[in-house]
Amino acid sequence: MTVQNLILSLHQFWSKHDCIICQPYDLEKGAGTFNPATFLRALGPEPWRAAYVEPCRRPTDGRYGENPNRLQHYYQYQVVIKPCVDTIQSLYLDSLSTLGIDPRKHDIQFRQDDWESPTLGAWGLGWEVRLDGMEITQFTYFQEAGGHTLDPVTVELTYGTERIAMYLQGVDNVYDLRWSDDVSYRDLFHDSEIQFSRYHFEVADVAMIRTTFDACEAECRTLLEKDLVLPAYDYCMKSSHLFNVLDARGALSVAERTGYIGRVRGLARGCADAYVERRKSLGFPLLAGAGVEPGSP
Amino acid sequence: MPAKKTSKSNHPPTTSFLLEIGSEELPWQVIQPAMAQLAQLMAGFLETHRLSHDRIRTFGTPRRLAVLVQGLAPRQTPALQEALGPSKAVAFDAQGRPTKAAEGFAKSQGVDVGELEIRETPKGVYLYAVKREKGLPAATVLNEHLPGLLQRLTFPKTMKWNASGIRYPRPVRWLVGLVGGRGLSFEFAGVRSGAHTWGHRFMSRGKPGVTNKGILVRRPDLYEAALARGGVVVDPAKRREALAAQLKQLARSVKGRVYQANYEDLLDQAVFSLECPNILSGTFDKAYLAVPAEVLIASMEEHQGFFSVVNRKGALLPRFFAPTNMNVKNMELIAVGNERVLAARLADARYFFDEDRKTKLDDRVSDLNGVVFHKKLGSLYDKTQRMINLAYDLAESVGDSQMIPLCSRAARLSKADLVTGMVGEFPTLQGVMGEKYAAHDGERAEVCQAIGEYYRPRTPDDAIPETAAGRLLALLDRLDTLAAFFYAGIVPSGSEDPFGLRRSAFGVIRIVVEAGLNINLARVVRQAEQRLAAQGVKAGGHAGPPLQTFLEERLRYYGRTVTGFREDVMESVLGRADAAGCDLRDLFLRMEALQAITSQPDFESLIVGFKRAHRIVEKEAWTSKTVEAALLTHHTERTLHEAVEAAGRAVGQALDARDYHGALKQLIGLKSPIDQFFDGVLVNAPEPDVRANRLSLLRQVDDLFSAFGDLSQIQVQGQ
Repeated sequence: MTVQNLILSLHQFWSKHDCIICQPYDLEKGAGTFNPATFLRALGPEPWRAAYVEPCRRPTDGRYGENPNRLQHYYQYQVVIKPCVDTIQSLYLDSLSTLGIDPRKHDIQFRQDDWESPTLGAWGLGWEVRLDGMEITQFTYFQEAGGHTLDPVTVELTYGTERIAMYLQGVDNVYDLRWSDDVSYRDLFHDSEIQFSRYHFEVADVAMIRTTFDACEAECRTLLEKDLVLPAYDYCMKSSHLFNVLDARGALSVAERTGYIGRVRGLARGCADAYVERRKSLGFPLLAGAGVEPGSP
Repeated sequence: MPAKKTSKSNHPPTTSFLLEIGSEELPWQVIQPAMAQLAQLMAGFLETHRLSHDRIRTFGTPRRLAVLVQGLAPRQTPALQEALGPSKAVAFDAQGRPTKAAEGFAKSQGVDVGELEIRETPKGVYLYAVKREKGLPAATVLNEHLPGLLQRLTFPKTMKWNASGIRYPRPVRWLVGLVGGRGLSFEFAGVRSGAHTWGHRFMSRGKPGVTNKGILVRRPDLYEAALARGGVVVDPAKRREALAAQLKQLARSVKGRVYQANYEDLLDQAVFSLECPNILSGTFDKAYLAVPAEVLIASMEEHQGFFSVVNRKGALLPRFFAPTNMNVKNMELIAVGNERVLAARLADARYFFDEDRKTKLDDRVSDLNGVVFHKKLGSLYDKTQRMINLAYDLAESVGDSQMIPLCSRAARLSKADLVTGMVGEFPTLQGVMGEKYAAHDGERAEVCQAIGEYYRPRTPDDAIPETAAGRLLALLDRLDTLAAFFYAGIVPSGSEDPFGLRRSAFGVIRIVVEAGLNINLARVVRQAEQRLAAQGVKAGGHAGPPLQTFLEERLRYYGRTVTGFREDVMESVLGRADAAGCDLRDLFLRMEALQAITSQPDFESLIVGFKRAHRIVEKEAWTSKTVEAALLTHHTERTLHEAVEAAGRAVGQALDARDYHGALKQLIGLKSPIDQFFDGVLVNAPEPDVRANRLSLLRQVDDLFSAFGDLSQIQVQGQ
């Protein structure tokens, strides 16, 4: 199964199970959780079911295209469902079956792996799902985000798209993956790995990035004061990515690193507070279709 | 805990009870403690609700916790409640009619006045309210109270998932409640109980008796068998047995044995991660054997939970045993998958090993500037510098100047492996990698070995370092840590010890005691404090005396838990520890000698005699030690005086030579002279000068005993 067919199959599967197929968000981010379709939508009482592919950037994981398993840019396949459904585990397993992974022939285990994001002020309990010993999905019941206790609870599935594709295609090197029948992962992304590794590790202008971080942080705060939470959250995301670049560039001491994480978390909390307020002022519009009154248990 | 109650023939036939909480996969670590809790809660519950029973068994897998109660009474034991009321005289008026007092009492007890019983008691005639509570059926009681019981289970981390608001480690998905052949009907976490359980997630489908409603459990005692049909071994003991047997057999088949170091932990993890215990045998490329075995083993154990295999000589084989939750005809697919995952892990490990060796450890030392030891105590580089300096002091303290260059070199390199890729990936390999990399850099063998073993003892059972340099480096590291935290005022309190200072101190104790190192720690700690001050660390507390007390407390803990010293023996020695020095090994030897002599037949009476002397001297606050031979009128006085003088010299010599057994033997020799003295003379003689002389003699006795320790602390039976 090619990478693009894998994505298409998952789209079809989750679309059939009442998920909106969202598109990736157009800003750099370290994980699909940062997409407003997860982080913001998990907040408050409104129901939400969505699936999307998310390009993720982890500058520190760059390996100049030389490591067969590590990339600074890759694709997560993300599913978020609120309130979480009782049958979510079997739904997930069914989605694997549609990819051609027969759970009765493999060893699929749910191994405890609790998730925490210090920058988002978020945590949840869940598992890493292992397929014959390989971690293929992160499965999390969010309990808190942006400092808010979540009620109802959102469940998040994060498929490691490349990992699963490597398994299905039987290749040991991510660059050998077939994206489509005649285009490989190497064709598409190898040079980008080299260029971005060089950029993040050797070239990125630390002074410029520090200044930009400060500016993004300030803009986020200003926008929050003006009740513009969505643009504010964009600047929160940008700050988070700029922090990741500084980190990869080796520009941060341990103490500074902690400081930056705290600053991003502060923005994320501010955005979470403002988002819930904003949705409340709009009357939690998505509750209308759900037959649930706000504040009901 | 209530005792087991066996039903005798006059009781109705008993039944059995099953409760199963089905959930999504629990973290493996919580299952065993939860089973123990469930058993305990259930026993308490049945006791409270007057339901007699026989055996309580618990079961657990990642997807279920269960408790089976055998020999359960079908009904509660009837209860008889009696309450004492007013006296008959108060309860009835002259006409024999109940008074307000009687009515009030009856009302408060919820009975009719006419039902009150009149009884003769030793104190007079009184009214009693007697209530007989008929027992309810067990099922009724369980239906009503089980949800409450389940809410009392506690776990380290819990979550919410639905509107019930119930917290549990993972979502609860089904409940089985059965009394005899009948299903209970109660609700917990938004789930209603029933008689159906679920089998293995993947292997129960299509098995006989498995429907789309799950597996019907017909009777509680058929629970294990029902789940066995569904591909689940629900008893952890049986899973353990099966896994252990399979591992043994697989190892034998490749002429090897399972690597033992973390065997029990890995087995625990496997037992509680699987419902269907099965072990898969796989191989990896022999080429990886060029990477140190510790690294390969860590890759297999820590990331994958695999068991490693060694040959009869202890060399690692290119194989692994992987716990798997599936037992299907074709295991090939699963094996290949696991082999590929491991291969990627080992490739990573080899990459780190190759990359790390391109930079000398010595060149990494400056990178430790970027690693915070503690925000008040500087970086690991600062710590390294302090350790290098302390190496001189410590080597000097043990009187081995040969050790100075070895220890200071080892100290310089000791933390450098923390900034290597390998230790970043496998923190448990700290020290181990340092040794390998130091050897690769061509450091002296003693230096390499010291780096490799200075984290020992890692656990209370772990051996202390083997080499002299390793022991000193281990002490250096711990003493610097202890001095630094105490200096900054960060000390353990109660159960709070976030920096593991008690463990560090315990390591110090074990090394000095077990390696027989006499070191004046007070001096070393003072020097450590000076280094901290020189580095500009802010003093928030004191290292000196509080740290000394802290170390002595750990020594007491060692004596209590490891050597089994008597508390009074330890108090005698430690209560009198020298404030200026702190030679823990010396204190240990004194305690050891004193403990040994406590079993001698004369010891107790010696102490009785000594304490008598001690009390007299103490009461009189007698300070003079001058004994005039001319005033020793009685022969028992003269005998004691001679004995004390002779023993005084001998004890002094023995103490100087640290021959504490010898010193105590001398004291034992004083038993008869002391006893005879007290039999022969009155200390309170009428003549003041004779009295004074006798008191001085007793003062000499007291001093002689006190030279060893505060022996007045020794408890004598009957005292």
